[in-house]
Amino acid sequence: MRKIFPAEELARDARFIRQTNEQRLGDPRGARVAGGNSGDRLAKLTPELANGPDRARALMHGIFVGEIQALEGAGRTCWDFEVGEDVPLALKLDMARQCWDEARHCEISVSLAEHMGTELGEFAENGLLYEAACNPDPVLRLTGVNRALEGLAIDVFNTMKEFGNLAGDPVLEFCEDWMLADEVTHVKMGSDWLRRLTENDKERLDKALEFQKIVDRLFSFNGFRGEDDDSPIQLTRRFRELAGFSDDEIDEIADMSRDARVEAAS
Amino acid sequence: MTQVSVAPESFEMVFYDAAVIGEVVAEVAERLGLEETIKLEIDEGSPLGRSKVTSYDPIELWVDGGALENTKRPRQFGTARTKDTVGRLLLRILDRRSGRFDDTPADDDLDLMQFAAWDVHCVGRLERLGIGGQRQRRLYQFRNRHGFTDLADSAFEKLWESSELSWTEIERISEGCRIS
Repeated sequence: MRKIFPAEELARDARFIRQTNEQRLGDPRGARVAGGNSGDRLAKLTPELANGPDRARALMHGIFVGEIQALEGAGRTCWDFEVGEDVPLALKLDMARQCWDEARHCEISVSLAEHMGTELGEFAENGLLYEAACNPDPVLRLTGVNRALEGLAIDVFNTMKEFGNLAGDPVLEFCEDWMLADEVTHVKMGSDWLRRLTENDKERLDKALEFQKIVDRLFSFNGFRGEDDDSPIQLTRRFRELAGFSDDEIDEIADMSRDARVEAAS
Repeated sequence: MTQVSVAPESFEMVFYDAAVIGEVVAEVAERLGLEETIKLEIDEGSPLGRSKVTSYDPIELWVDGGALENTKRPRQFGTARTKDTVGRLLLRILDRRSGRFDDTPADDDLDLMQFAAWDVHCVGRLERLGIGGQRQRRLYQFRNRHGFTDLADSAFEKLWESSELSWTEIERISEGCRIS
């Protein structure tokens, strides 16, 4: 079986339509993000918005396809690298555990889609998460996926959990809370492996952190994820601390989002 | 015979065809028994899903381009979504003309709960006519406005299944299940 499985060949049934990054970023109305659109000044996602429930449905579908890709990515990491020469066995065991979590998240997401009245495949799928999981260096892969993307997942899950709380929807609130707990673990795995595998390799550490920044920027359209009260997705400082982010790293993500917002508004 | 005028006549940001849109709107209108001129204005630059009636007589509708979009294929026209959007607006017009909705506040004065309840009553009827549906999506929206309770679900059933409620009945059902 081949190593590094290409993103365009991922198996999907006829319900799913893939939107390429070129199509997404080339949309003159702005890229779709957070169940809304980066071309507009998106309000914080709450049930009080007229389109709040529909934005939550779209965002939940994005989470669902993200879970499928996270499962595929962690599964590939178990296979793509050799124990000893590429990665320690313990890293593969962590990725196997993550597969178990992501598979459970897929099932939870399917149930939530049913709860919210969303058909599977109702919204276009973007493959950026899996593409980040194709990096040939396991350190860069874990940094891009587990720290940048799963880090974003922490912020998204917390926002959705609050949405469920405000709406009085215990199903959404508790499902998001349980998945959020797993995401913190996944990000912590990324933080721990980054530190351990680059302990004596400053150059590799710098490359990995640079890759993380690139992935973070790709998901920071118009600074939609930030610490301002009106940010559509709230940056969740406390959970990121638990997941191994330093204060400086969190500040950097917040600054990146703030700069992107200012740039978008000008 | 229903006459539909669509503005703009050609699109730059989305892959829509004004003639196709006109045909779909006319089909929905005719199914609802509306045979008159309809003007539809589309803001193609907005991928959001807002829509409103700007004039009840003559009929003038305004929608975000996203309200007519195929969500599986961004920027492409979605027939089912368009039928749902336009069908709801046209049913609201028919309701207001029926005499059963004379005491309904102006659209701008309706709150989210009132809109959600009226939408449920509209989409339930559209589904039975074979236009639109998405029952669970409407239930989710209704629950967001009225609470995730058995009482709210029971109110939803009444609104969805009834064929000809008055505004007073819709308000009574909506108010009866709101979270205090």
